[in-house]
Formats: sequence, structure tokens, C-alpha cells
Amino acid sequence: MTDIVYGQVGDATVPLRFTDLSDEYKVLRERAVALDLSGHTLIEISGPGAVDFAQRVLARDVEYLTSERCMMSLVLDDDGRVVDQVLAFGREDGLLLESSVGAGTRLLEHLRAVNDEDVEIVDRSADLTVIGLEGPYAWGVVGRLIDGELASLPFEAVSDTVWNDVEIIFARTGFTGEYGYQMIVPVESAADLWRATLEHVTPSGQEALELAMLEVRQPIPRLETAGDVNVIEIGANWLVDITKDEFVGKEAVLAAFESRQGRRTVGFSGGDTVPEPGARVLAGGEDVGEVVFAVRSVGLGTTLGLARVEAGLAAAGLELTVEGAGVTTLTSPYIVPKSWSIPII
Amino acid sequence: MTVDELRAKAAERQQTCSQIKKMIVSRLDLEVEPDWITDDQPLFGRGLELDSLDVLELYVAIEAEFGVALYDSEMAVFGSISRLADEVDPRLGATA
Repeated sequence: MTDIVYGQVGDATVPLRFTDLSDEYKVLRERAVALDLSGHTLIEISGPGAVDFAQRVLARDVEYLTSERCMMSLVLDDDGRVVDQVLAFGREDGLLLESSVGAGTRLLEHLRAVNDEDVEIVDRSADLTVIGLEGPYAWGVVGRLIDGELASLPFEAVSDTVWNDVEIIFARTGFTGEYGYQMIVPVESAADLWRATLEHVTPSGQEALELAMLEVRQPIPRLETAGDVNVIEIGANWLVDITKDEFVGKEAVLAAFESRQGRRTVGFSGGDTVPEPGARVLAGGEDVGEVVFAVRSVGLGTTLGLARVEAGLAAAGLELTVEGAGVTTLTSPYIVPKSWSIPII
Repeated sequence: MTVDELRAKAAERQQTCSQIKKMIVSRLDLEVEPDWITDDQPLFGRGLELDSLDVLELYVAIEAEFGVALYDSEMAVFGSISRLADEVDPRLGATA
């Protein structure tokens, strides 16, 4: 493990690559990998008004989120812009929010700024951290590592369990379309659990994880929310419950939705080079939008990216041009996860 | 293609996607407005959070609405609204 490449992502230093992006990606899509998710900040919301606070601050409905469930949701500001994408865990005395990578400080500041209910908001990252498992055979690792019963938990189910006499929060989650699990573990036991996990799987860094997330259009907030863009333009509508009575940012999101204006996001592939964010997108020679971000896709063997274009051109199957290279807009998912055809045994 | 030809091609797919969204909302009695669902939105697990019973209902609905039988299809056809559009109207044919 001497070749680990670390990088700064927001407020966190995270492993970008443990060995080689291509190798890590292939193991993630073909077998299973361990994920160091310590760049995700855990924030505890507690007190008598905790659920009311969370219900107002999160864009999805968490009023009946029990301690056996978790849920992914956006957190928005008053203008409907994305503050972060969180995983919310129901707890006996409130909720535990897991930030996206490197976004903990920003999320914490926002939560404290809108704390009208005077709830207790505690950064738990000094004593709790997160280890993930992801891949079509991740369920097998869960069986060997902890308990096979946990592997078949329903999606977004949570179980308080014990590993090696240590209490952990275990959840069936997932970012890549593959079977995914998370283990929230006390910091003092994290190294032991990480080592035990690596007896069964190899680790994957942030680069392979984000490539796999892009392939199934799992939003990557740090790459997709820069600038003055709203939820509709990002295409993250499914992380907002617009039927909910009230939440911070709802009016702005509704206004953006009803205006039918603005741009929309669509995936594209093609070209030999990887364009920078902001590179212009042309349709029939006309400037119709810009690249959000792009990477070299191991699975597709070409450039894969997201473009934000005028709404009338946000559709798959179009031949567009980016930096002189022909690209084709895509239907999501761009890679079909192997887990969709493999049952948990 | 000119930009207007590209817009026309995009509109064709968006129209099929819109039809699929209306069908899903109606047949599954969802509270959400059809246009709120995005073309790239995942349908199962994440996204619309449909389950295996919903799939059975969708098989029937798709055959009734589009005359396409998907009973033996892989789950990938439900990967997104746009992916489903490729199945019910192969002329769109843009699967990644």
C-alpha cells in the first residue's frame, strides 16, 4: 500500500487511488471493493425538535424515518441551490446525517445557520467514521466479515449490529448501482475493521468510485453543483420530494420547475481527449451549452461526461461537438451494473 | 444535422419519455407530477423506488400502451425512463 495517492476533496483528504484507477474500477464492477469513506462527515441532529428540523431542512420526507431506515436526500438553500447530498439515518433520538465527500464543513455551517428549532447539531467525525463495500459480490464479503443475514437487507435498511465486540451501524446503501453497504464504526476501531475488510477485498479510491457513480447518473455534488445551477438543471429531481408540504428551497425549486426554462443535464461519450468543465458544446455549429465534467471511462474506453445544454436538446442519441470532437448523447445508465443480474445467495 | 434537426430528433425522444412517465404515474397511482420525473431517473431502488410488483404492473401497462412485450427482458430496460423509451420505440435507438 505504498503507492496510495491522496488528494484534497473539499475539506477532506481522501485516497484517490490505492494502486491503479483501471484495476480498481474493474474490481468494483466485477467483484467487490472496500471504500474509505472517512471524507464523509457524520453529523448528529438531536433534541425534541430534531425530526421537525430535519423535515424542514432535508428535501425528502424524513418524518417517519425509523432507526431501521436510511434515505438519500438533497439539502438546499433558500434559492434552491444544492448545499449537499446526504444520507440520513433515523436514530432513536433524532437523525444522523452523512455528508458527501469533503462537504462536511459546508453542510455543518448551513445546518447551524438554519437551526430555528434550537436542536443540538454535533459533528461526530472525531469519533465516528464510515467504511463502504460496493460491487456485485459485496454481499458475499458481508457474510464473511459480519453476518450473511445482513447482506440481504432491503435497500436503505439499517441494522445496529456488533462486529468484534464493537457496536456499528450497518446499512444497505450504494452509490454505483452495484450492491452497496456502509458500516459506521467508532474511529478507534476503524483501522481494525478496515484491515479485516481487506482480508476479503481490495480497496478502491475516490476516482474509481466517482467514475462508477457517473455511469449510473448518481449525482456527484462536488462536480455537478458548481455555479448558479438549480436542482432541475442538475437533474437530481429524484432527491427532492416536491409533494412534501414544506422544506428549505421548495419555493425556488417549484419556480424553476414551473418556468420550464434553463438548461438540462445529459450524458455524452466520445472524443480522444477529456474536455475541461466549461468547454463549449455545439449542435449543428451552434453553441448550446457546456461540459459539466468529463473523465476517461474505463468501461466504455472513451471519454464520458455530463453536459448542460438547452432543454430542447437534452436527449439521448444526438451527435454534438465538444472541442472539435464528435460526441453522442447517452441514455442512462451508461454502464449496466452487473448486480442487476446477480441475485444475493 | 442542423441544430433544428437535432431539436426535432430530441423532441421525438422527449415525447416518448413523456408518454412513459404519464403511464407510470397513472398505472402506479403515484402522487408526483409526470414531468417531475427526469428522463435519466433510475426507476428501482434509487429514484422512483419501484419494486418487483410494480414491474409486473408495468409489463402489462407497456404492452397495452405501446404494444411491446417486455416480460423476458433484463432489468436493464428499467434502468431509466429514457432506456425504457429505447425499448418501446426502437427507432430512438440510443442505448449506451
